[in-house]
Amino acid sequence: MFRVALKSALFNKRRLFGTALSVVIGIAFLAGTFVFTDTIQRTFDNLFSDVYKSTDAYVRSSSEIDIGFGQKLYDRIPESMLSEVSSVTGVAEARGDVSGYARIIGSNGKPIGLPNGSPNFGSSVYDSPLIPWTPVGASKFPSGPNEVMIDAGSAKQGKLNVGDKVTIVSQGGSRVFTLVGTVRFGKADSPGGATFALFDLATAQSFVGKPGEVDAIVVGAVPGISQQVLADRIHAKLGAGATVLTGAQITKETQNSMHDALSFLNILLLVFAAIALFVGSFIIYNTFSIIVAQKQRETALLRAIGANRKQIISSVLLESALVGIIASAIGLLVGVGLSVVLKWFMAALGIDIPAGGLVLLMRTVIAAFVVGIAMTVFAAVSPSIRASKVPPVAAMRDVALDRSAASKGRLLAGAVVTFAAAMLVVYGLASNDVKLLGSGVPLLFIGIFVLGPLIARPVAGFIGAPLPTVVGVTGSLARQNSMRNPKRTARTAAALMVGVSLVTGISVLAASVKTSIRSIIGDQFVGDFVVRTQTQGFGGLPPELATALNKLPEVGTATGLQMGYGKIDGNTKASMLSVVDPSTIGDVFDLKFVQGKASDLTADGILLSTSRAEHYNVHVGDTMRLTLLDGVERTVQVQGIYQKDDLAGPYTISEQLFKKSGADVYHFSVFGTTAPGVSEKAVLAAATPVVEKYRVGKLLSRSAYINDQSKQINQFVNLIYGLLALAVVIAIFGIANTLSLSVYERTRELGLLRAVGAYRSQVRSAIRWESVITALLGTAQGILIGVLLGYAVIVSLHDEGLRKFSISVGTLVLVTVLAVIAGIVAAIRPARRASKLDILRALAQH
Amino acid sequence: MSTTQLLMAPPVTAIAARAVDACKVYGTGENVVRAIDHVTVEFKAGHFSAIMGPSGSGKSTLMHCLAGLDPLTSGRAYIGGTDLTTLSEKQLTTLRRDQVGFVFQSFNLVPSLSAIENITLPGALAGRKPDAAWLDKVIAAVGLAGRLSHRPSELSGGEQQRVAVARSLVSRPEIIFADEPTGNLDSRAGTEILSFMRNAVMELGQTIVMVTHDPVAASYSDRIVFLADGRIVDEMEDPTAQRVLDRMRRFGE
Repeated sequence: MFRVALKSALFNKRRLFGTALSVVIGIAFLAGTFVFTDTIQRTFDNLFSDVYKSTDAYVRSSSEIDIGFGQKLYDRIPESMLSEVSSVTGVAEARGDVSGYARIIGSNGKPIGLPNGSPNFGSSVYDSPLIPWTPVGASKFPSGPNEVMIDAGSAKQGKLNVGDKVTIVSQGGSRVFTLVGTVRFGKADSPGGATFALFDLATAQSFVGKPGEVDAIVVGAVPGISQQVLADRIHAKLGAGATVLTGAQITKETQNSMHDALSFLNILLLVFAAIALFVGSFIIYNTFSIIVAQKQRETALLRAIGANRKQIISSVLLESALVGIIASAIGLLVGVGLSVVLKWFMAALGIDIPAGGLVLLMRTVIAAFVVGIAMTVFAAVSPSIRASKVPPVAAMRDVALDRSAASKGRLLAGAVVTFAAAMLVVYGLASNDVKLLGSGVPLLFIGIFVLGPLIARPVAGFIGAPLPTVVGVTGSLARQNSMRNPKRTARTAAALMVGVSLVTGISVLAASVKTSIRSIIGDQFVGDFVVRTQTQGFGGLPPELATALNKLPEVGTATGLQMGYGKIDGNTKASMLSVVDPSTIGDVFDLKFVQGKASDLTADGILLSTSRAEHYNVHVGDTMRLTLLDGVERTVQVQGIYQKDDLAGPYTISEQLFKKSGADVYHFSVFGTTAPGVSEKAVLAAATPVVEKYRVGKLLSRSAYINDQSKQINQFVNLIYGLLALAVVIAIFGIANTLSLSVYERTRELGLLRAVGAYRSQVRSAIRWESVITALLGTAQGILIGVLLGYAVIVSLHDEGLRKFSISVGTLVLVTVLAVIAGIVAAIRPARRASKLDILRALAQH
Repeated sequence: MSTTQLLMAPPVTAIAARAVDACKVYGTGENVVRAIDHVTVEFKAGHFSAIMGPSGSGKSTLMHCLAGLDPLTSGRAYIGGTDLTTLSEKQLTTLRRDQVGFVFQSFNLVPSLSAIENITLPGALAGRKPDAAWLDKVIAAVGLAGRLSHRPSELSGGEQQRVAVARSLVSRPEIIFADEPTGNLDSRAGTEILSFMRNAVMELGQTIVMVTHDPVAASYSDRIVFLADGRIVDEMEDPTAQRVLDRMRRFGE
């Protein structure tokens, strides 16, 4: 029996390969993701152990704020600790490190690094094995207030050479330095695309940090002293004010924070691999259902001559396992190639990954094979059971065409699954539970998949209705063929449905987000112009820019906004705070205060949104506790409560309070109004030279700013579209595969058509239109589900500021047009084969 | 051939199809099979002709080559005045669509189309509106008026075959080729179809060439061509079932 199954599977290699193809892409993406992230991980692990190899102890503040996503902010420590550390027995060398924000301006006047890309650091540097840097060529270390060293990556990107004058922007303003050298980070030109401007300690303190303070102390031990002993001794000396780590610990910690960051990327990519595999499993299921139906006579014959049901089941499962093995093997190979593509892709997004050999772990190989085989076999279980139910007597009679679609059982099962899935989705959204949502959505697709055959016939008939008139008899044939086996049509369309509904859902979300952003900024921002940066919350515009703008006669008010973090009322997790200038912020933002006003805010106060005020049950005049970066728990008074928290966020504090914590001050954006009687054109003209001095900001009129902000999500949305395209490509393979099997099944019919005078082109046309109808059926279902899913998500995010439901009709039209093209592409090969059938042989076939 | 019969025949008999020195060879080298071997034969317009012969005699191959379904290896095949061997694949398809009708042993109809759609299929493929009066006449003649909207799966074998004959008639082809048209039918349905084809020739002036191995079926024709081993071995005018049976027995000797 084993041999019979194996022979049967190998007999039709094309079918085997075509089926495997639908799994290959998913497996390739799975394997590619693992190889990609493992490679980056290994590269960075090596890099960090390399750069910390001389570090035996690492001292930093014990005051920290966890801002989520595996990132923590640390307070600075007094420079005086340096001499204390140096005095510890066993310390060979101790150095203070300063780190802050600094943006290097390239020789073309543009800031180096992509918008919203990797961070831009300013740091201290000195000639010692303790630094992570390796100077390149004839570099010298910077000394004095006018010299800088930069990473080799930035030097390349900004076309900067040793000896050049370099402009650098930080909280200390915009300054010109002489470039005295470039450095590499271990073996990399730059650590993961981050840029580095390096100064001597005093310059770094005054320009990017704080005089008298350092971010960390790096320590080298005298030979013979272990890292642990050294760390313990330093700890004993410094007491509770500082955290002391061994060199091994800081290496591990840095590696781990990289792993955390990578795990987000890993999960994101694996989600898309899962989508691809999910779609692939629909296709496997469909293909095996068709194969089983087509082999009904053969199966019945096997049963008639004594094969039992178990043997029939195992023969089908064996074939599916074979498909899984082939798909996994090819997928693994393709995946390794894909990991290289992913690397390019990341580089295009500004995440530069240092060179390193590809890492193929055993785990990746096992995952590819286990997932690939398990998925195909699982998808083939139900068809195999159906095959085993073929009665032996079927060998003796003609096989009836399976037109069945509507059964009460199907309706009931489909309705139950769909309803349960809808509940999961709704409840998941309502309770913000990603796991519920993540299991609800696939279940929803399965529910629709079960219900699909019930609607496939009428909907396909409806979609194809214009074809007989527009295309003629081949259109009529296409329409009839798409309706004749509703189960098959529905299953084939379902694969496309998944991809289309996700694309539609995302497009609805994106359109709604854009509309919401427009309406929110339009309502709450009452100023006339903006200087904005794209620095992802780290660094931004030096505060002197706002001051300079305020001095212009054309400007009414210019006020900068900063984002900070603080722990409210003893929470362990930090909340984001808006840091404002209370005297001017009210001129540019209308937050609809219900109690107090923006200008009431003092250095000991806080402004809250109405929802937070309700949550903590506080009113103006009550007090709350707030812990900033310095770890000091302060009592602050509630001085105002506002309704509109979409732009300002739930908590707002003053710059004076924020500065007390010792945090660096940057404005991520500066908002302004024009002086009375001044035109928009005039204020922009006046502000341009001031803004250009700092290079990192972009000056925009009110309307341009609103446009700009609503387009912020485009890049992200396009990335998601790109990844979802995978699911659509797989669906195209699925349609092609089903059509091929249908063509095979209809060989005699096609031969007859040709005999009575159908041109090859007419046969092709019939197949092509059938494919288009199937694709449009999947698209119609997908768009419907996508819009509903998008709507559900938007309703659930109402409180997060997403108040507008908006559909991008253009995108939906584009999706439909693409579906038609997909249908045409999927039909190319099957149609060609159908049109080239040998008429006589086709007619003679059974 | 009697004198009276000669006088009764149409004064100038056109040739609807003919083969001249036709050969069809399958395979190469040692596996070579001469399916038809230097066959020259004519089929008159307005006649009901039959091709008979034992299995493997090449009768189906001869029909396929004459109908433009299969190219000859050498020699010529004509429909009317058209030399099929000079036509492109596309021209052959057009010729089949417009000038040739087909009735096969089984699987004559497209399962997804209704009876009437099947009947009008060749015209629809050509993008032509059917001649309504003629269509009505044909449908009435085959007696399918009440069954036109049914799918093939809802029709009996005899009905399916009548639909196929109607399809072959509506386009008023030069010639209809029927390949064992009664092979899958019970004797009553078979008789119906044969009478109907006979009538189509007598009353509508249609030309039919039928391949069969059934002496009864062949006896409905005007003339039988006997094939054996790819060659024409005999002919018979105005056959009866008994004479055909006798002739066929001799093949076994």
